[in-house]
Amino acid sequence: MSDEVLGFALKSTMQELQNVCPDITGNFIFKEGNILAKDDNTNEETASQTVDAFYKITEHASIIGGIDAVSIEGVKGKVNIASLKDFHLTTVSSKKADEKYVNTLTRVLIPIVIKLAQEIQSCSTANETIRSDDDAIETIEPELLENEITKEIVEELEPEDTENIQPEELNEEYMIPKLQKENEPAEVEVDNEPLIPEPPVLQLMVENLTGFRVGSDTVRVDQEVIAQWNELYSDKKINEVEIEALNGKTTQCKFKKIKKSKDEGKGIVKMPEKIQVSLEIAAGELVTVKPIVE
Amino acid sequence: MARKTSKQETTTALIVNEKELSVSLEENQMFTNLSSKLAEIGKMKGVIGYIIRNENSATIDLKKPEKLVEYAIFSSQVLDSTRQISNLFELGDVKSILLEGKKDNALCMNIEGNKIGIFLEKDADKSGILKKVSP
Repeated sequence: MSDEVLGFALKSTMQELQNVCPDITGNFIFKEGNILAKDDNTNEETASQTVDAFYKITEHASIIGGIDAVSIEGVKGKVNIASLKDFHLTTVSSKKADEKYVNTLTRVLIPIVIKLAQEIQSCSTANETIRSDDDAIETIEPELLENEITKEIVEELEPEDTENIQPEELNEEYMIPKLQKENEPAEVEVDNEPLIPEPPVLQLMVENLTGFRVGSDTVRVDQEVIAQWNELYSDKKINEVEIEALNGKTTQCKFKKIKKSKDEGKGIVKMPEKIQVSLEIAAGELVTVKPIVE
Repeated sequence: MARKTSKQETTTALIVNEKELSVSLEENQMFTNLSSKLAEIGKMKGVIGYIIRNENSATIDLKKPEKLVEYAIFSSQVLDSTRQISNLFELGDVKSILLEGKKDNALCMNIEGNKIGIFLEKDADKSGILKKVSP
């Protein structure tokens, strides 16, 4: 997959971000000085000059260990340039934009799209390699291939082995079937166990869970989500969930349904402070939650 | 007969532009106020140091004075480049700039000609500091 396809995927994502959050008035992404994708509101010249200005800052940023993000707050709006590995995402938002929400959206979705695009790219490259290897084999004359392999086998044999081999064993008619037998794929073991579907991964926003009767090792998720899990794994037990924060930290804990009906269907996971501390996160941040199927 | 003498005094008129004088005094007052705020901030946990300068004066307080030039060039570049970005996107006057570094953070501002750079460790309370220093 070329940068063009990645650019197209990123552009679509950025456009969607603006649809979801109209306070984002413009955004573009660049890598090593090249603009990979930009929305329709941002013109090329503006983006290019911003890139130059950003790199001028990074030239002198060794004193703070390099730049992860730059947030500029102006009287009429905000600009944020966030570094996501080699990519730099610039987001322009209005004055009233909720910075936390915008950052959560952009810093979650864009890396996911980049990662997906890269994974697809590596898969397609691997497929192309396999296909080109197959093509190369097909173009060789079968007879030539057989002779070549026979020759190689004879060469690989030690001299004393060659001495002990009866002349008929060196015959092609003997060698080829033997070789074919060796190259035959081993019998595939059939697993009779039913296939368990991959656990669904949910992205939920963290909210504080407080109260006297709150277990410090239990999170609360939507009743509807629990019902879906039970439906999916009707004959399996789900006692715990695995929670992964954006910083890569994970934990396993028990879960219960959300008690308050007003909190249901909001896409949240209520979490005691202890678990938030262990994941190094705070309320308002996004985490992924998946059931642990036993 | 007594001789008449006349004594002539030449005087040079001193023109005082009250408006300019008051502006200059206000600027100095602003610089002094900001400097005292920064001196308090400098004592806070996680604050590495600060630089404040205007056309006439500068105050610097850094834990690593040997890095003064690097900090000064960095904060100056940040203010210049971000002003440029702000103009490109028509953001109006820049209120504040937060730089999240891999090692430390920096908070830069230009308050009425007083250019400020505050350097912070990662765990420092940047929003609290921003509130303290903002007019």
